Amino acid sequence: MVDPMNKRTDATLKLEQVLHQALSGLPPRQAPATLESRVANELARRALLPWWRASFASWPVAARVMFILVCAVLAAVTILGGVSAYLGDRSFEEVSALVLSWAHPLLTVLSSAGGLVALLMHVIPPLWLYGILGVGIFLYVTLFGLGAAAYRTLYLPSSAGNAS
Amino acid sequence: MRAYQDMVFSTAARLAGSDTQAEDISQEVFIRAYEHFSDLRGSVTAGGWLKTVTTNLTLNYLSRYRKRWRLFSEMRSSTQDGEDDGVELDWEVPDTILADLSAEQRSVIVDAALKQLPEHQRLPLVLYHFEDMSYQEIADKLSVSLTKIKTDIRRARAALLPLLQTVGGARDTLDG
Repeated sequence: MVDPMNKRTDATLKLEQVLHQALSGLPPRQAPATLESRVANELARRALLPWWRASFASWPVAARVMFILVCAVLAAVTILGGVSAYLGDRSFEEVSALVLSWAHPLLTVLSSAGGLVALLMHVIPPLWLYGILGVGIFLYVTLFGLGAAAYRTLYLPSSAGNAS
Repeated sequence: MRAYQDMVFSTAARLAGSDTQAEDISQEVFIRAYEHFSDLRGSVTAGGWLKTVTTNLTLNYLSRYRKRWRLFSEMRSSTQDGEDDGVELDWEVPDTILADLSAEQRSVIVDAALKQLPEHQRLPLVLYHFEDMSYQEIADKLSVSLTKIKTDIRRARAALLPLLQTVGGARDTLDG
């Protein structure tokens, strides 16, 4: 008696061999007659472009070096100018105190939020928490499923149509 | 350029499944070749260089439109991986396909059938059978799992067989 699994494997192997025979050794397709003129026209168009509209890699070396230097100077001026305009003539201690004065309320808010979460965990029955967690997971999976369904119904048919 | 334009165009066309896209890609390949003309002139590896650049440019070209859907595409494939070995062949596998036709006739039929395959099946199939790449090389090239590549190629073969038989049979009828 022939094992169905072996039969299927044999068919798969046979298909691979038969298709490989059919596909290998095929002559290349003939390129359109317009390809050569298209390439020539595109090369001519690009040759007419000024050097600064070509890719950065094809700029003259001097222009590339100058561009990098100018960008570096502009970045440095912007950063240093912004920092010095903000700080004015404040000392380091004053700046540190200013930063800490912002950080303190932020830390207070974060610690209050943590305390609130701990209180809620203590007060709300665990069953409710599991329920809320379950609803959250359900909504997430539903959204993901809708996305997948949209992909399969809206995108796949059009991509298969483009391929044919 | 004339010596290689058919090879470049057909590589791009079989991978992309579109003559219009293949022509754009071929144009870009030859412009790059022109930029490297001093290296390629007289080189025995010029053909290989052109083939590699064509394959890479085609994959880049296609991936621009594919990236946003990769998540769902992978998810769809992984859900179907469970039925990996369940790629059923509804058709009896013949001993030969299109063997009585000339290479040119076979080429026309095969190219028409390839265009009907979805991209995720056509790409690995063409890389395997036309570019002689291994499963692992294709998986690396397309940045997908080896399992998915094997499944996609098996499915592509199973889908291609009836297409070749149908189109080939119809052509035989017309010719006869």
